[in-house]
Amino acid sequence: MTTTTTTTPTKTHPLVDTTEPNLLEDTFDYDLPPLIKFEGPITEVIDGKPVEFDPRSVKTRDIVVTDTTFRDGQQARPPYTIDQMVHIYDLMAKLGGPNGVVRQTEFFLYTKNDRETLDRCRALGHKYPQCTGWIRAVKGDFRLVKEAGLQETGMLTSSSDYHIFHKLKFKSRKACMDSYCEVVDAAFEAGVRPRCHLEDLTRADIEGFVLPFVDRLMEMSRQVPDELSVKIRLCDTMGFGISYPGAELPRSIPKLIYKLNKECGVPTERLEWHGHNDFHKVHINGATGWLYGCDACNTTLFGFGERTGNPPLEGAIFEYIALKGDLCGIDTSAITELADYMRSMGLPIPDNYPFVGKAFNSTSAGIHAGGLRQDERIYNIMDTTTLLGKPPRVSLTDKSGADGVAIWVNEFFGLTGDDKISKIKVHKVARWVTDQYEKESRLTSISDAEMEVVVKELMPDLYAKHKGD
Amino acid sequence: MASVEDRVRQVTARVLNVSGNDIKPADNFAMDLGAESVQAIELVANFEEEFGIEMDEEEALGVENFGSAVEYITKVCKEQGIVT
Repeated sequence: MTTTTTTTPTKTHPLVDTTEPNLLEDTFDYDLPPLIKFEGPITEVIDGKPVEFDPRSVKTRDIVVTDTTFRDGQQARPPYTIDQMVHIYDLMAKLGGPNGVVRQTEFFLYTKNDRETLDRCRALGHKYPQCTGWIRAVKGDFRLVKEAGLQETGMLTSSSDYHIFHKLKFKSRKACMDSYCEVVDAAFEAGVRPRCHLEDLTRADIEGFVLPFVDRLMEMSRQVPDELSVKIRLCDTMGFGISYPGAELPRSIPKLIYKLNKECGVPTERLEWHGHNDFHKVHINGATGWLYGCDACNTTLFGFGERTGNPPLEGAIFEYIALKGDLCGIDTSAITELADYMRSMGLPIPDNYPFVGKAFNSTSAGIHAGGLRQDERIYNIMDTTTLLGKPPRVSLTDKSGADGVAIWVNEFFGLTGDDKISKIKVHKVARWVTDQYEKESRLTSISDAEMEVVVKELMPDLYAKHKGD
Repeated sequence: MASVEDRVRQVTARVLNVSGNDIKPADNFAMDLGAESVQAIELVANFEEEFGIEMDEEEALGVENFGSAVEYITKVCKEQGIVT
């Protein structure tokens, strides 16, 4: 015998009737990605006490995107050529705009090619992204940074016992910390700002090693000019980080940031989040970093990086716009240029990948195509035509119907507004598509090339008028 | 000239591959005469061609049965100055 539990409702909700639709345009401003708005502070219980964070501060804080396409990104693929990196850097500058939303990128410094790449990128004369280095935590490597004329470099300061004892073979945590601090001193002596990468942070002993180490770094930083003071990169090396409220350390991103920012006193502008996607959390974890007090989110283009990859740069860009409520000088069309360029280099971007996959705003379903024809906003996330140069598309299959065919034909001929033709006028093409599946037992979708041949044959007058053949 | 009803009957029979004599005014194009999605589009396109008229897509596709189609097409022909 089963029993059901009924819950007593606590509130009733009368219908708010209307004859005019409420399209929630103050949030869903089609010219921008949907805006992210917060009603008030977030409370997290830390060490038994409630702590408030105000996510609305992202609107006024100088949050930025940083990039590691040429470093972490290159660890996951064959090396880029120098020309490729210079072109990608140039497009990143265009993307981030005059305000430098894409604030920094980092380069290896070990080979002649590394150095030439850096020199040619800087020769383009862009203020942003600023070029920084990436070196091992070895004193001698600062010579490379100095010779390259760089003002800031990342260096590995692994923070978990997995790394300290099993990878780096230190005898003790103290020996490890002392070794790292010697290298930081070397950075100061070389006049270079060190960016300490706390590798494997989300698996480290936070109270026992990480916070004492960062305390010491902050003490060292107080002895040098502000422009040299240590930056901290929080490295979620294995993708273990968790954004959920109430999660425990060392995986809790809010708690990690709080401890570094408030307890160790690292200002938000010197905190940077770096993550990986092993548990599908990479983008949200990066954005969470922003919300809780890391001003920088470290990314790679299209998420390509070590193993499962990094926070995707283009995802961070749209998240930035949604949080700020403004384009802030960003040129989102550069995202499509970058995707096309990298695809031409053989980078395998899946068709269903957000913002840049070939099918990211494509529908096969006739009922969705019908909705698109009525009002593009019904099944398109934002004005992808203006923001990305990609109008919503249909992928023609047996499910597309005449609505799908009409969208395809109008897009093919570049017909917009009152010039668009109705689905009645494409009936011959719609019949051809239907017969492909019902009479010819076709199993594959219909390519653009096939459709062009069919439209030329079945709609010759329209074809001649708009394609000039 | 054949009446509007006769011409609508001929087009319907041809497009839906049914016997024109069997079509009744109350017959629903989809449920009684078996019109599938693309055939509904083809019917409207063929009516337009037959009568030399332009029909509003939403209105035309909203006409559900044979009798209503005859009335609707008659109205449109009159509005557009087509002699029937």
